[in-house]
Amino acid sequence: MTLLTDTWFIAKRELIKFLRTKVRVVVTLVQPILWLGLMGNMMGKVFDNPYVAQAMGVSNYMAFMTPGIIIMTVLFGGVFGGISIVWDRRVGYLEKLLAAPIHRGAIPFGKTLAVMIQNGIQVLAIVGIAAAFGVHFETGFAGILGLMIVAMFFGAILSSISLSLAASIKTMETLMAIVNFLTMPLMFTSTALFPSEAMPNWLAAIARINPVTYAVGPIRELVLHGWDWSKILPGLAVIVGLAILFMLISQLIFQRATTD
Amino acid sequence: MSKTIEVENLVKVYRNGVRAVDGLSFSVDKGEIFGFLGPNGAGKSTTIKILIGLVNPTEGRLLVNGIDITKHTTEIKRATGYASQETAIDDRLTAWENITLQGHYYHLNGREIRTRSEEILRMFDLYERRNDLAETFSGGMLKRLDIAEALIHRPQILFLDEPTLGLDVQTRQVIWTYIERLREEHGMTIFVTTHYMEEADTLCDRVTIIDRGTIKAIDRPEALKAQLGGDVITVSFSANSEPTSVLERIRQIEQVLSIEKNGNGAHRIMVSEEGEKIVPQLFALCEKEGITIDAVSLKKASLDDVYLHYTGHAMRNAEESKETHFKARMMRGKARRK
Repeated sequence: MTLLTDTWFIAKRELIKFLRTKVRVVVTLVQPILWLGLMGNMMGKVFDNPYVAQAMGVSNYMAFMTPGIIIMTVLFGGVFGGISIVWDRRVGYLEKLLAAPIHRGAIPFGKTLAVMIQNGIQVLAIVGIAAAFGVHFETGFAGILGLMIVAMFFGAILSSISLSLAASIKTMETLMAIVNFLTMPLMFTSTALFPSEAMPNWLAAIARINPVTYAVGPIRELVLHGWDWSKILPGLAVIVGLAILFMLISQLIFQRATTD
Repeated sequence: MSKTIEVENLVKVYRNGVRAVDGLSFSVDKGEIFGFLGPNGAGKSTTIKILIGLVNPTEGRLLVNGIDITKHTTEIKRATGYASQETAIDDRLTAWENITLQGHYYHLNGREIRTRSEEILRMFDLYERRNDLAETFSGGMLKRLDIAEALIHRPQILFLDEPTLGLDVQTRQVIWTYIERLREEHGMTIFVTTHYMEEADTLCDRVTIIDRGTIKAIDRPEALKAQLGGDVITVSFSANSEPTSVLERIRQIEQVLSIEKNGNGAHRIMVSEEGEKIVPQLFALCEKEGITIDAVSLKKASLDDVYLHYTGHAMRNAEESKETHFKARMMRGKARRK
């Protein structure tokens, strides 16, 4: 019980700061506008060609791309979990938390919960912007809720990875560099922005086992097609499973790193 | 008097092999202001971190309020408050958000948190500024807020690691006034480290000087100063008077330890304590004997002398943590902006 309330108060602090930092909120909104407005329109022209569209199995690139933008935003937001720990350690706040009788596991869990809630807010913003660009969400409100859940669990994986790295990486610059080094290739070897039909065989093979593809799959299904559980469940199961696994790992690493 | 902290043969060896604390034994009485002095890297912070359950000791028996620290970490955390030298305030939150979150970390209920936060912020003269972001605060205000936060769960023992580091004289005095009030009004035991010897001298009931993880001296400040020869009164008698008989009488004063003549022909009178009360006696004696005094000066023994005696004059390039440097830089930046 205290684990849950402790986790919430750790997360609450991050959320107050997130909502207070107007630049971060604005960037959250501007980025999807840029991606959809520039890349979506440009690529949309290519896919307007009926032969291309048929070969790629993509009829509306903007709608195809929206799940990719959602996952990309979540992918790059995960690093903030680890960054907040690096910062807290620097200013002594982490020590203050450790001196309090809170459940130790609540610290990494709370940081991840904060990232997940931020992701949820970001996803809602992207959905709204995409809708304004004319993207139609096949599964309506329930589907949007569903894709939010997938995105948030995907965010939990990224946050947990960055938290685990932050146990041994003590500066923000290095952490940023390493996390970007991991996320960029993950992004481009997945089906987030391009269908596997458009990829060379070797890349398509990598994309098939890439966790990003597993996260994009169910979201794309919900946006483009409908409630086909046989297409939603496998991706969802993999993402939730990985999220739980990485959260437990981040917890263990954190415990080890803070025991002296 | 009941012992609040009892430490026997405390040893801490970090994973990297650094022996930060090497066989400390001491005890602290309830309601005492206990000063912990020593050069950077002497083991002060490590000792505090062990006593609040942040760091596990390698060896030793540790009782806080009669409870074994190593076995009951949560109870120890509830009984102790801690303000680190880093001033761990989240400057993107308001004072109110900072202190109420701290209340939640200690599992207090919402009403307790609200009433106590108000009470404590008022005591520390921060209530009017409670809704301002901490980043707009001066270094002194941040430190006050930090100490205020450490009180939210009403600890019996307050650990302050260099509470006045880098603050101006006015703010340092204000902080010490708060510390004394906490002891007077709440009977709180206060364990404090500082590099300002005159602070430790006037405010601590007892001080411990530690260096390289071991205790060099532990006693009341006056007793420590007396051990080193106490105060020195330097007297120049006028050239035409013969002070021999007077010197004999002076030697008989109880507090006078020794008299010697220095190079300028003046006499140095070593006094165990309260030299300022001996000076009038000197004048009275000289008056009686018809001897004129040209000049007199009194040098009170300082804890600085005691400290240097036990720790040596060599400067320490000890491992001050990166975090401390970083924080100090930030505080300086803040002071400039103010």
